[in-house]
Amino acid sequence: MNRRQFTFGLSAAALSHLEAGTHHEAKADACIFLAMLGGVSQIDTFDPKPKLVDLDGKIMDWSKEKKTDQPNLFAKPRKFVASPFQFQKYGQSGREVSELLPHTAKMVDELAICRSVQSDNGNHPAAVFQMNTGFIIPGNPSMGAWVTYGLGTGNKNLPAFVAMPDFRSIPFSGAQQWGSGYLPAEFQGTVLRATNEPIRDLASPSNVDTEAEREALRGMNGNFAQLRSDYPDLRARMDSYELAYRMQLEVPRVLSIDAEPEHVKEAYGLNDPVTASFGRRCLMARKLVEAGVRFVEVFTPSQSWDAHGDIRKNHEKNARETDKPIAALLADLKQRGMLKKTLVVYMGEFGRTPDTPADQATPGRDHNTRCQSMWFAGGGMKGGSMIGTTDEIGHKAVENVYHMHDVHATILHQMGLNDMRLTYYFGGRNRRLTDLGGRLIKELV
Amino acid sequence: MSFWLILVLAQDPLLPILAKQCGTCHTGKQAQGGLSMDSIEALKKGGKHGAALTPGLSAESLLVQYVTGEKTPRMPLGGELDAKAVSELRAAIDAMPKGAAVSKRDAHLDWLLKKPGAVPVPVVAQKSWVRNPIDAFVLAGLEKQGMKPATEASRRVLLRRIYFDLIGVPPSPEEMKNFEADTDPLAYEKAIDRLLADSRYGERWGRHWLDLVRYAESDGFAIDGERPTAWRYRDYVIRAHNQDKPYNVFVQEQLAGDEGKSKNQVALGFYRFAPWEADANSKKLLRQDFLNDITSTVGSVFLGMTTGCAQCHDHKYDPISHKDYYRMQAFFAGTAIADLPVGFEEAERPKEMRRKMREHEDAADAGQAELDRQKEALKQKYLSLNKDEEGLKKFLGKLNTRNLFFLEQDLPLVKEPEWREPLRRYFETRDGVQREQELARRHQAIAYAIRDVAPPAAPEIPDTYVLTGGDLNAKGEKVKAGFLSCVAGTEPAEIPFAGGSNGLRLALSDWIASDQNPFTARVMVNRIWQRHWGEGLVRTPSDFGKNGDVPSHPELLDWMANEFIAKGWSLKTMHKLMLTSATYRQASVNAEQATYAAKDPMNRLLWRMNWQRLDAEVLRDSILSISGRLNPEMGGPPVVFDVPADVAQGFEFFKWFPSSEEQQRRRSVYLLQRRSVLLPMAETFDAPNLSTSCARRLTTIVAPQALTLLNGALTRTEAKHFEARLAGAKDPVNEAFWLVLGRGPTAEERRMSEKLSLSSLGVVLFNLNEFLFVE
Repeated sequence: MNRRQFTFGLSAAALSHLEAGTHHEAKADACIFLAMLGGVSQIDTFDPKPKLVDLDGKIMDWSKEKKTDQPNLFAKPRKFVASPFQFQKYGQSGREVSELLPHTAKMVDELAICRSVQSDNGNHPAAVFQMNTGFIIPGNPSMGAWVTYGLGTGNKNLPAFVAMPDFRSIPFSGAQQWGSGYLPAEFQGTVLRATNEPIRDLASPSNVDTEAEREALRGMNGNFAQLRSDYPDLRARMDSYELAYRMQLEVPRVLSIDAEPEHVKEAYGLNDPVTASFGRRCLMARKLVEAGVRFVEVFTPSQSWDAHGDIRKNHEKNARETDKPIAALLADLKQRGMLKKTLVVYMGEFGRTPDTPADQATPGRDHNTRCQSMWFAGGGMKGGSMIGTTDEIGHKAVENVYHMHDVHATILHQMGLNDMRLTYYFGGRNRRLTDLGGRLIKELV
Repeated sequence: MSFWLILVLAQDPLLPILAKQCGTCHTGKQAQGGLSMDSIEALKKGGKHGAALTPGLSAESLLVQYVTGEKTPRMPLGGELDAKAVSELRAAIDAMPKGAAVSKRDAHLDWLLKKPGAVPVPVVAQKSWVRNPIDAFVLAGLEKQGMKPATEASRRVLLRRIYFDLIGVPPSPEEMKNFEADTDPLAYEKAIDRLLADSRYGERWGRHWLDLVRYAESDGFAIDGERPTAWRYRDYVIRAHNQDKPYNVFVQEQLAGDEGKSKNQVALGFYRFAPWEADANSKKLLRQDFLNDITSTVGSVFLGMTTGCAQCHDHKYDPISHKDYYRMQAFFAGTAIADLPVGFEEAERPKEMRRKMREHEDAADAGQAELDRQKEALKQKYLSLNKDEEGLKKFLGKLNTRNLFFLEQDLPLVKEPEWREPLRRYFETRDGVQREQELARRHQAIAYAIRDVAPPAAPEIPDTYVLTGGDLNAKGEKVKAGFLSCVAGTEPAEIPFAGGSNGLRLALSDWIASDQNPFTARVMVNRIWQRHWGEGLVRTPSDFGKNGDVPSHPELLDWMANEFIAKGWSLKTMHKLMLTSATYRQASVNAEQATYAAKDPMNRLLWRMNWQRLDAEVLRDSILSISGRLNPEMGGPPVVFDVPADVAQGFEFFKWFPSSEEQQRRRSVYLLQRRSVLLPMAETFDAPNLSTSCARRLTTIVAPQALTLLNGALTRTEAKHFEARLAGAKDPVNEAFWLVLGRGPTAEERRMSEKLSLSSLGVVLFNLNEFLFVE
């Protein structure tokens, strides 16, 4: 079946470039992307480096390294920093996870970990753009927009692509991170907030007879469309109002968290102010996917994981806010039989360095585009698998090196789309999420 | 029988693999790239890249070039044919008899790369329909197909059409009634003249140009720093349109306003609207990105050529070489971005600007003094509780944090009730100071421009190299500035270095804004046409190349381009010509609709007028105009719209200080164009993203648009004022329909309307298709 017949909106322009839905059989119907803004340290989560224990505090010699992407960083002497966190093997797969993520660790057999993802720019804004759109410059469609463009939505009453930023600090460039770029606006992400009005302008004003308004609007628009039956946009626009009315009923129902059982709320950490914000959005993500939403992106606050000043303090805080809700999300999806068809992705815009400026009292870690550890779960990924090796200090991926484009290609692949074939003609050529193409991370599927 | 099957039968059993590999995409009407492989004829006809098959010549066949990877992407996508299959394929093609396969696309280039010659106006049968030469060209096309144009639209429809088209708001009931009653045979022409002379014309048409140059008042990227006086470029564009500045001068001022005859440094803002990563790690890369953006934007905006495609390699479709790209880039090599002190022109109200800047500076100074006092008091308060020096330092440092919310997160101490009030006041005062400083900056006499690098800072223009793969570290051949080599009769320019002004950009603008340039006039005339008809004669207005749309009426386009030049590059002359044509005056329905739509579903032959949905800005401005509350003030610093409090709090690098309510009711073109914070209503209604050149807005129909117009603040607030406006009317329902739709209600509409409050009626009318779509 062509899933695009259920596009969230309709327009002649958009319908004209609709082709077949999937390119091949999809392993995942939906994707939940957990964006760890600021960049999680691989060395302190999934990529233990015992060698750093020996090197801790020693001055690093960077003279042989190419320094182009972060010249300021390497201008001064730097010293190695051992991870302040202990690692332990978990699950049947025996993957090592640090004590930072005790809850995720319990789900390690569901994870397909890649420890060798590289990206192109060590500056947050450009790197966040690349994570979301494939490119380090603004103006390109986000991955959720591409997926929606490729597949349409799986439901009639909700947006296909939902973005849930943390309003304490929204991602750089705001809506462009979930925007449709040069794709039609119907593919842009709809922002959902954890408030009484989750979607902007969803609620009707309370002191107005909206039923009477609706009747009059239907009547007048109906008469007009009858006179001009040759122009399909008139009908399409009337249909969009019917969808809007259904959304007004459906969205609050889908997102009503109060009705969730106490143990679910507890599992997602809704009862603890530390985990409540991320937990609430993880739970909403599950409910949205359950209702047929295609792509959900949940963001931590902008630059939250950016541990320049103090790796321990920063990462402990962020791990506490996210670890428990994420594990609960995985367990909940699994328990409901949804994990098989739901791809969950956990990553930041880059990894972090094994060292810190030599004169810094509390050791931190800086930006590192040469490797990061990220994981997939569900959606046809091989649970308990792992690929990618970094050098002995965790500075650079050296084996089975992958790129951000490859992560995108893998997401699209699992969702039944071929990244080379998912194109949109703009500015003189066919554009892609992965530019000239990415590679499937085949070891993990 | 399919081509593959013929080959299979005739040649080799290996070939079914090919059929399997290619047939899933390249078949039927939806074939990828327009290339169907259903028959030999289809292969010869080819797709958008040209003929796939050149019988007898396998090496020249695109089919072979793609499967061998000679051309990219290699076909089949994601796979590869083995060598044996490829050699079988070659053999099969070589075995075919050679024929004369003429590519339609080469004819397209022959047309495009030559300046239009004299174009005879065609002779048509139905002469009485023709009002001006445009109609002769259109009618000739229709008659060839045995089709007839639609009847003329009603006077009501015509007047609404030209109002929305030219000034972007609907006519008032009086204007409509007067026009409908006017017996002057020239009433329509006079209405057009009146609207072209109306200063709201510049606000409407200036916005089209701003779309193209990706006008924005901030840098984009993380910090998204404001460009406080970028608005001077916006006002320059609006004024240029209102003055009907000749387009060639308009182009020259933007490309070389510091070098040309017509001096205008504010116009140089054109160069500055590329997104700018202010805190980029590599300044070299930042500069290269800037140069790339300019090279690509100049090509697509002025020439309708996708020069940007040749950044990494030769253009895949058009005759623009990799080297051409860098020769074009060399024109800009001598420039540096610069915020220049440029005095206000009379039209920019210099006295008012100076006065306001002083007022805001004074207010900022006064606020700062107050802030210092409060800070000292807070310091004393801290010391009275705590003598710790380190703690004090930290406390004072934290006072610079974003807001009270973050201070409380970092310093739990301040959650104590006794701290609340003084800290609240402190942050309020600090916000006030920042707001006044921001406003003062917006009134500075600074032009957001570029300058030429000059001795002694830079004794020479930096060299330009061909960059292999666009990579700054892969420098190839050194090149000098030069024009596109595909255009006949143009030689690479060699401009001697002449001190502070190196004259390169002037040479480029002389070439572009010339009546000899084959692109410039055609591209602009097509853009004007596109804004009036919804689609251009070339529907890819910034891509006239091989991959773009084939023009529906190339002779008409050429004729109009000649006319544009002959009439002194006047936009207003072209508007009048187009709007007075019988073609434009057609109704949006044709009596033969059903038959014609089957033949020509996209109405490319123009057998009726196209529908158009109101642009986001026109929709907003019209609602404000109908409620009687549109603030007509023109020009000046941007108006900051309201955003929800939780959104505003999320901005890390800037504060959000909304303008007064009265200011917020100004036309949309004056609203702040901050890349990271788009007006939500405009974003929903397909406004451009402000980062890339937007040549053509898409028209989507999505549910959030319905939510915005049903429940959003704009509609609900203005509907209340609409109700107030109607309060005194003798027949408010009648007046309501006249205000929104330019007609009275039908009996049935009246019956439906009388069930509603007048404010609800306003909401309903603002949501009507008849309001949102212009016939």
